[in-house]
Amino acid sequence: MPAGLAGYILRRLLTVPLILIVVSFIAFALGRLAPSDYVEIQAGTRAQPETIARIREERGLNDPIYEQYVRYVGDFVTGDFGTSAKYRLPVEDVLLPRLWITLQINIVVVILSWMIAIPAGVWAALRRGTWLDPLTIGLLLLPASVPVLVSTPLLQYLLVVKLGLLPSGGWSDAEYFGVELGIFSKRAVLPVLIMTLPAVAGIARYMRGQVLEVLDQDYVRTARAKGLPGTAVVTRHVVRNALLPIVTLFGFELAALTGGSIIVESLLGIPGVGQYAFEAIGSRDYDGIMAVVILGSTMFVLAMLVVDVTYGFIDPRIRLGEGLSE
Amino acid sequence: MSAFESSAPLQLPTVSQPQRVLRRFLRRPVAVVALSVIVAIYGIGILAPVIAPESFDDTDLRARNEAPSWDHPLGTDNLGHDLLSRSIWSAQTTVIISVGTVASAGLFLGVSLGLLAGYRRGLADFIIMRLGDVFSSVPTILLLIIINATLKDRFESWFGHVSEFTGIGWFSDSGVPSYFLVFGGLAVFGWVGIARLIRSQVLALRESQYVISARASGASTARILFRHLLPNVGNLLIVMLTMSLGSVAIAEIGLSYLGVGIQDRPTFGIMISEAVGPGKLQNVREHTHLILAPGFFVVALVLAFNLLGDQLTDILSPRRR
Amino acid sequence: MQTRNLVYTLTAIAVALIVVIGGLSLLVLSGGDDDDGGAANPDDTGEEGPDLGDRIEGELRLFGADPQTMDPACATDAGSAEYIVEIFSGLVSFDKDLNVIPDIAADWVVSDDGTVYTFNLRTNVLFHDNSRRVSAEDFKYSMQRALSPDTQSTVGDVYLDDIVGAEEYSIGEADEVTGIKVVNADTLELTIKEPSEVFLEKLTYPTAYVVDQREVGDATCFEANWTLTPNGTGPFKLTDWDLGTSITLEPNEGFYLEPKPTLSKVTYVLSGGSAFTMYENDELDITGVGINNIESVRDPSNPLNAEYHQGDSLNVFYIGFNVNEPPFDDPDVRRALSMAVDKEFLANEFLEQLVVPAAGIIPPGMPGYNDDLAGLEFNPGAAADLLDETGKADDVDGARILTSGQGAAPSDILQALAAMWEENLGVTIEIEQEDFGLFLSDINEGNFTMFSLGWIADYPDPQNFLDIKLHSESSNNESGYASDEVDALLEQARSEPDEASRIDLYQQAEQIIVDDAPWIPLYHGRSSYLVKPEVVGFETPPFVIPNLRYVSIDR
Repeated sequence: MPAGLAGYILRRLLTVPLILIVVSFIAFALGRLAPSDYVEIQAGTRAQPETIARIREERGLNDPIYEQYVRYVGDFVTGDFGTSAKYRLPVEDVLLPRLWITLQINIVVVILSWMIAIPAGVWAALRRGTWLDPLTIGLLLLPASVPVLVSTPLLQYLLVVKLGLLPSGGWSDAEYFGVELGIFSKRAVLPVLIMTLPAVAGIARYMRGQVLEVLDQDYVRTARAKGLPGTAVVTRHVVRNALLPIVTLFGFELAALTGGSIIVESLLGIPGVGQYAFEAIGSRDYDGIMAVVILGSTMFVLAMLVVDVTYGFIDPRIRLGEGLSE
Repeated sequence: MSAFESSAPLQLPTVSQPQRVLRRFLRRPVAVVALSVIVAIYGIGILAPVIAPESFDDTDLRARNEAPSWDHPLGTDNLGHDLLSRSIWSAQTTVIISVGTVASAGLFLGVSLGLLAGYRRGLADFIIMRLGDVFSSVPTILLLIIINATLKDRFESWFGHVSEFTGIGWFSDSGVPSYFLVFGGLAVFGWVGIARLIRSQVLALRESQYVISARASGASTARILFRHLLPNVGNLLIVMLTMSLGSVAIAEIGLSYLGVGIQDRPTFGIMISEAVGPGKLQNVREHTHLILAPGFFVVALVLAFNLLGDQLTDILSPRRR
Repeated sequence: MQTRNLVYTLTAIAVALIVVIGGLSLLVLSGGDDDDGGAANPDDTGEEGPDLGDRIEGELRLFGADPQTMDPACATDAGSAEYIVEIFSGLVSFDKDLNVIPDIAADWVVSDDGTVYTFNLRTNVLFHDNSRRVSAEDFKYSMQRALSPDTQSTVGDVYLDDIVGAEEYSIGEADEVTGIKVVNADTLELTIKEPSEVFLEKLTYPTAYVVDQREVGDATCFEANWTLTPNGTGPFKLTDWDLGTSITLEPNEGFYLEPKPTLSKVTYVLSGGSAFTMYENDELDITGVGINNIESVRDPSNPLNAEYHQGDSLNVFYIGFNVNEPPFDDPDVRRALSMAVDKEFLANEFLEQLVVPAAGIIPPGMPGYNDDLAGLEFNPGAAADLLDETGKADDVDGARILTSGQGAAPSDILQALAAMWEENLGVTIEIEQEDFGLFLSDINEGNFTMFSLGWIADYPDPQNFLDIKLHSESSNNESGYASDEVDALLEQARSEPDEASRIDLYQQAEQIIVDDAPWIPLYHGRSSYLVKPEVVGFETPPFVIPNLRYVSIDR
C-alpha cells in the first residue's frame, strides 16, 4: 500500500463500497424479512389468498433472500433502482422530486442556523466572564431542548390556527425559471423555523468552545500582549483556526438528511424523503426503502470520507497515526 | 464521527483525581441544579411502582379529558387515565431505556470493543472500525423502524420461549420484549462513538511513558489498562455517557411517538402523540393540560442534560482555569 | 464567581420561558374569537392559498391522498377508487339515490334464465383525447386484462369471477374469457355461471371499467407510468398529477351523461397536514370533521356550524372472534362479551355521535337495513352471569385483540372496550397493535383470538356484507364462522328474483348471525363534513360513486 496522502485516500476509498454493501444487505434482509409484503398489503382484505400467493411468486418474493439481493444489486449497478411498490412507478421518479424538497429545506436550515450560531458563539466566547456569556447560551438552549415533537404542534397552533399567518403545512409547487423551488413560499417557513431553532444552540456552543480553546493558545495571548488590536486577533487567528473542525460538522449535518426530517415532514405533511421513507416501511415498498437507506448511507460515508481526507491532509500525524494502527 | 476521534490531538491527558473533580463540580450551581433535575426525574421513574397513585392502565371513562384538579393533579386524558400517574410511569420507561441502552451500548459494547481495537490492533481493529463505520453511516431512525417492523414479532415469541424455558414469567410480560428490542436496537447503533473514543485514547497511551515503563516492569495487560487507561479516559467517558443518556432518552421519545417500540406502557412520546398528534391540534387550545405534563418533563430533562453536558465539559477539560 | 453563572443562566432560561408561555397563554386564553383568524375574510384569500394558484372561478378544492393506483384493473381500496370513478367509466354506475343507471351501456337485456346479459353501448362515448369511440372490443380487452394473470391484479377475480371462463383464464388455463363476447362494435354479451342479483352492481366497480388499449398495452399493475396521463372516458380528465403534492382534474367536455360536469377544475391537495385547518384558512372547500373538532363545529355559535353536514355511510366497524378456538368457540362466551359493551356510550359520548351504534351488520341506508333487529343489548349484569355460567372467565382473561395501526397508542376505542370488559366482566383483554402487514398476515393465517376491523360497502346490497363476510366458504370470512342455516339462506338469496323475499332472507340470516355473535358489531360510521356555502350539490356519498359532476360553484 503506497504510503502518504495518496495511499491514505486510497485506503479510505476502498472501504466505501465495502461499507455500502454491508449496509445495503442488512437493510435488504431486514426489509424482506418483515412479515407480509406489498402484494398482501395492497390487496388488503379484499382478495383471494390464492391470487396473492400466485402474484407473490411471480414477482420473485418467495425466492431466497440472497438470490433476491444479488438480483437487486445486479439491477442497481446497471442503473435500475427498482419499482416503488407503493406508487408503482420507477423509484427514481418517486424519490428525486422528494429528495429535492428535503434538500431545499435542509440546505436553508443549515445556512440559517450557521448564520445565526457562528456570530452568537463567537460573541459569547469573547464575552467570557461577563453575564452575557451564559445568558446567550441559556437563551439558545431552551428552544434546543424542546423536542421537535412538542415544538411543531405548538408553533403550528400559534402561527397557523391562532394568527393565521402561515398555511398549515404541505409544500408548494411554485416554479422559478422552470425549476420547482417551493422553498420560496410561505409553506417553507414552518419547517425551516422548526428545524433551525434547535440546531442553533448546538452549533453556537460548539463554536464558543472552539473559540475559547484557540483564545487560550499561547500565540494568541502573545499577540494580544504585543498589543495587536482585539478584532484583528480574533479574525485572523481565532476564527480561522476555530472554523476548521466546524467544517466537518457542516458535512455531517448535510449528510444527516434522511433521519432528521422524518418527524417534521410527517407532522407537516411535506412530501420529502423522510416522509416517504416512513411510509415505505409500512407499505413494504422494498425498493423504496433500499433507495432511501443507500442514499442516506452513501451521503454519510462520503461525508466521513471527505472529512477524514481533509484532516489527513491538514494534520500529517493522522496519516502516520493510521499507519500505526493498520 | 470518526474524524473527531481519530484526529483529536494526541494529547496526553492529565490525571485528575475524583475528589478534585467533585469539588469543582459542587462549586458550579448550574451543574448541581442540572444534575438534581436529572436525578429527580430518574428517581421518580425508578420509584414509579411505589409512588404512582394509579396504575398506568387505570381508566375511568366517566372522567375524561379533565383539567387538573385535586383528584388528578395533572388532569386526565381521553380515556380517563390520571396524567400524573402516566407521567411517572413514562419516566420509568425513559429510565429503563436510557440506562439499558447506555449500559449495554456504551459501557459494555463500546468500552470493550474500543479496548479490543486499540490494544490488539491488526485485524480485530480493522473489523471493529469498519463495523463502526457501517453502523454509524446508516440512517438510524429508519433502520430502527424497519427493525421494529421485522423483529417485533420474533422477539415476542423468543421471549415467550425463554419465559417457558426458564420459568420466569417476567420475560413475556407485556412490554418487556419491546424494551429489549428498543434498547437493543439503539445500542447496536450507539456503541460506535464511545468505542472510537476509547480506542484513540488507548492508541495514545500505548506509546506513553507510563505504559512502556509499566510493561517493562512486567505489569500485566489488564493491570495496565486498569491503572493507567481508565482514569485517563474516565473524564471523557463520563461526559460521553451522560450525553448518551440524554440523546437516547430523546431518541426513544421520538420512536415511541412514531409508534415504534414500546406500545403497552406509557412513554412520553406516546403521551405527546395522544395530546397533539396528527389531527389533534385543537387540543392545544381545548385541553392544554394534555401537552403540558409530558412537555414539561421532556423539556426539563433535555435541558438538564444539555446543561450538565456543558458543565461537565468545562469542568473536566484540562485547560479550564 | 460560579453563582453568577448560575443566576444568569437561570435568568436567561426563565426569561425565555416566560416569553414563550406568556405569549402562548395570552393567545390561548384570548377567548372564542380566534376563528376569524382564517375563515371569514374572503378578501384575504388571495394571501392564504396562493401556492396552489389563486382560486379560479368554478374550482373545487379538496383534500386527498396519493391513490395506491389509478389503474382501474388494480384498485383495491376506496381511496384509489375515489379518483378512478371520475376519470374512467364502465358499463353501469350508480346515481345519487343508489340506483344502478346506464353509463356507457345505454341499456341491457337479461335472458330469461338470468345468465346472459346483453349490453347495448352508446355510440357517442369517446376517449378523452377524442381520438376514437369506445367499442365492445375495448370492454373485452379491459375486463380480460383485469382477469389476466399477467396483469397481476389481486382484485380482478373478486368482482368478475361470476363470468363464465373467468377462473380458467385467471390461472392461465385459457386463452380468453369465453363469457365475454363481442357481438358487434356496439354490443357486448356477458354470460355468468349462475343467476345473481348483484352482478350488475359488481360491474359498477372499477375492475369492469374500460381503458385504452393503445396506451395501456400489456402493462402490469406494477407498471403504472401510463396512469400519469390516462386516456379515460369519465366525467373528468386527469390533467396533472404531482406526486405527493396535488392532483388536478378538468371536465370532460364530451361527457355523455347528464348532468355534465360544471366545475371548471378540481384540485386535490395531497400534502399539508391538517385538512380541517386548511379549510379554516380557506385553502379547501370541503373537509371531513373528526372527533377532535366535532364539538366546536356543533356549537351553534361557531360560524362553521352552518356549513356542517352529516350523511349515512355504508360501513360497519366490528370486533371479530376466532370462532374455531377456545374460549371463543363457545357462543355464550361471545355473547357475554358482546353484552358487556355499552355501544350507546361508545357512539354517543365517546365518539361524539359521529357514528351510530350497531345492533346488526347491515348499516342504515342500505337496502335490507332492519330497524327492528333484536341485537344483543347492553346488560352488564346478565353478561357477567352468562360468563360465570360458562366457567371460562379465566380463559378469557388475558385474551388479545389484534388491531392494525401505525401510531403511538392503540386506538382509543379499543382501550375503552378493554375498560368496559374490565369493569363489567372483570377480565383483562390486551390490545395488540401491529403494523398493517403483520396484521394482515396474522388475520389470513388465523393467528388471533379477537381482532378489530371495518368493512365498507362496495355496492349497496346486503350480499356485500353478509355473504362476502360471513358465508362459510368465503375467503373474506376472517372469523371462520360457519353456519349451515346461514349459508343456506345466503345461497338462496343470491338468485332470488323477488326483491322483498330477498331482503327477508338476508334479514333472517342477519338475525341468526347476531344471535351467534361471531362478531360484535360496534358502530356504523357516518360521514361528517364541512362544505363551503358557495359549493352547491355536494354530498359525500355513502360509498364510492362518481359524484363530482353534480357539484357546482356559486361564486
